[in-house]
Amino acid sequence: MKKVLEKIKMPLLAVTISLIFGAIVILLLKKNPLEAYSAFLQGAGLLPKANYGGNQNQLSDFFVFLDGTAPMIFASLAIVISLKGGLFNIGVAGQMLLSGFFATILVGYSPLPGLVAKPIVILIGLVVGGILGGIVGYLKAKFNINEVVSTIMFNYIIQYTTSYFIQTSFVDPVSRQSKYILSSASLTFKGVSAFGVKLDISISFFLAILVAIYLNYFLNKKKDGFEIKMVGLNRKGSEYAGVNVEKTIIKTMVISGALAGLAGVSYYLGYMQSIQPGVLGSLGFNAIATALLGGVNSIGVIFASLLLTILDRGSVFMSSRLGIVKEISGVITSIILIFSAISGYIGLKLSERKKEER
Amino acid sequence: MERIIIDGLQFALPLFIMAIGGIYSERSGITNLCLEGLQGFGAFFGALAIALIGINNPSLVQANGFYIAIIFAMIGGMLFSLLHAILSIKYRANQVVSGIVVNLLAVSLTEFLTRQINSTVFGAPSNKFQLGVLPRHNIPVLSEIPLIGAFFKEIYPFQIIILIVAVLAWILFYKTRLGLRLRSLGDNPHAADSQGVNVEGIRYFAVMVSGALSGLAGISFAYSISANFSPAIFMGFGYLSITALIFGNWEIGPTFFATLLFGFARSGGYALAKALKMEAAFTDITMTLPYILTLLLLLFFSKNNRSPRALGEPFDKGKR
Repeated sequence: MKKVLEKIKMPLLAVTISLIFGAIVILLLKKNPLEAYSAFLQGAGLLPKANYGGNQNQLSDFFVFLDGTAPMIFASLAIVISLKGGLFNIGVAGQMLLSGFFATILVGYSPLPGLVAKPIVILIGLVVGGILGGIVGYLKAKFNINEVVSTIMFNYIIQYTTSYFIQTSFVDPVSRQSKYILSSASLTFKGVSAFGVKLDISISFFLAILVAIYLNYFLNKKKDGFEIKMVGLNRKGSEYAGVNVEKTIIKTMVISGALAGLAGVSYYLGYMQSIQPGVLGSLGFNAIATALLGGVNSIGVIFASLLLTILDRGSVFMSSRLGIVKEISGVITSIILIFSAISGYIGLKLSERKKEER
Repeated sequence: MERIIIDGLQFALPLFIMAIGGIYSERSGITNLCLEGLQGFGAFFGALAIALIGINNPSLVQANGFYIAIIFAMIGGMLFSLLHAILSIKYRANQVVSGIVVNLLAVSLTEFLTRQINSTVFGAPSNKFQLGVLPRHNIPVLSEIPLIGAFFKEIYPFQIIILIVAVLAWILFYKTRLGLRLRSLGDNPHAADSQGVNVEGIRYFAVMVSGALSGLAGISFAYSISANFSPAIFMGFGYLSITALIFGNWEIGPTFFATLLFGFARSGGYALAKALKMEAAFTDITMTLPYILTLLLLLFFSKNNRSPRALGEPFDKGKR
């Protein structure tokens, strides 16, 4: 228990300082910060709003919020495993887009029954993301191509190519996005009647929690997970210790890509139901931040994802209620991240002071 | 053919000057993934300066707007780069992390401020600041030469400024004592420290150079692509210039050719789509050309790629 407290002390401090900072900005705009923050919570379904539209209540907001959190958890897990392996997968956005694209065109419009279609969607996410990550790992291991560079290149290539195919073959002329997928392929049961309202019930959210718990087990208890961490800590050293470094690098990227693929299908075939051509989701980059806030820990990122999704989901409602530009949520998020980036240093200084006092 | 050269150069030069900044920072030992954020914030700062000065002195902005914008863009980029410098030098944050965070902050902060300032100061709901159209010039005599003349045609003033700054940056980097010291920091900061070199001071300087040069690049993109500042400035050009400098093995000369390659592949792709009379969506396919080309070239050239040895490691006097 004490260990856990020690671990979450710095992220909590970072969050608190940032919320205070955000409050000051809101005060400067002559608005009430308490009202603004409760509007964030209301938007995410954690506090009741004053009134609701037909068939909606706080519970329906809350379920949409969970649905939106799922891809964030998957994407942050993709970053976590790559960072553990000493790699930096900046291509999560591209891996998400390509898996979402393939799942959409292969299953999204097919007449398969839901019980068959949904597992195939998940499988496509795993396979497409995994292959893409594997290529990046292979290029790194065999050709010494920096993974930051190759993933950025792949991001662009995927962004433009999928845009071409969506615009020429799968576009909805009204929304200018890809046509909505059929409900059988959707990883979110949209508009399920329960408790007298319509709910969006997310399969992905529960899957994401399970995957996070398993990944934690995998990294701490399994030989493969241990090797990944070892290579991440010291590449030369683990080579001397008999670890196949090249293979481990590829393995790390396959897992990371597969997780990003899950993020992709849960985002494009769950939360969104369609793809906007030519746009890389900002989620793929925000996940880097979420992973850091979660202490690069598989369980930690669940909480970090929940928190950052509150800021993201709640910002629209907050903006409409108080008239503050909704991008303030991004500013608050970035400030949280700045403080968590330097929390290592602050923690170090604090422990040094403690030692001196003794 | 002329079009490819003209458009290619106009895109390559801002990439190049930004990459030089990245080289300064990384050769001093500070990983710099935040060029993207720095160029965007710089462009924002320059455009904001014009918008605000224009309230009271419209004639001044009309006459010299471009130079005002460039100066403020460089100042803005430099100020914002201080954040990365402080996080990674003073607070020893992971430099990759710090770079990403600075990028995220740049995107959200500029969008927030642009909207908020537009609505409170100008009373208009907009996420843009207008910059005005920049005139282009043909260089006399040189632009008359057949074929090569295209390199001197329809030149934006920022292209000349970038070339001058680039030459100065090259001289400072390779021909002065400061440059020599800076380059030594990326490989062995402890040796430099024992020679009495101010490691942290030079690193602050290097990161701030990257901020100023990125600001110059950002405002150039803003002028040449859209004649305004909007969040569309965050198109990933910063990441592209990082690729260029890695491709160029952290040396200014080879990096120049890498950026030219990006520039011409991009303008060539556009020209190809036009020549083949393809539907508009097909430009999406030709737009992938520079990136596919880069990946292919990296397959052949990466084996000997070597980053500065102490890149990304916080400097700790006590540690050897």
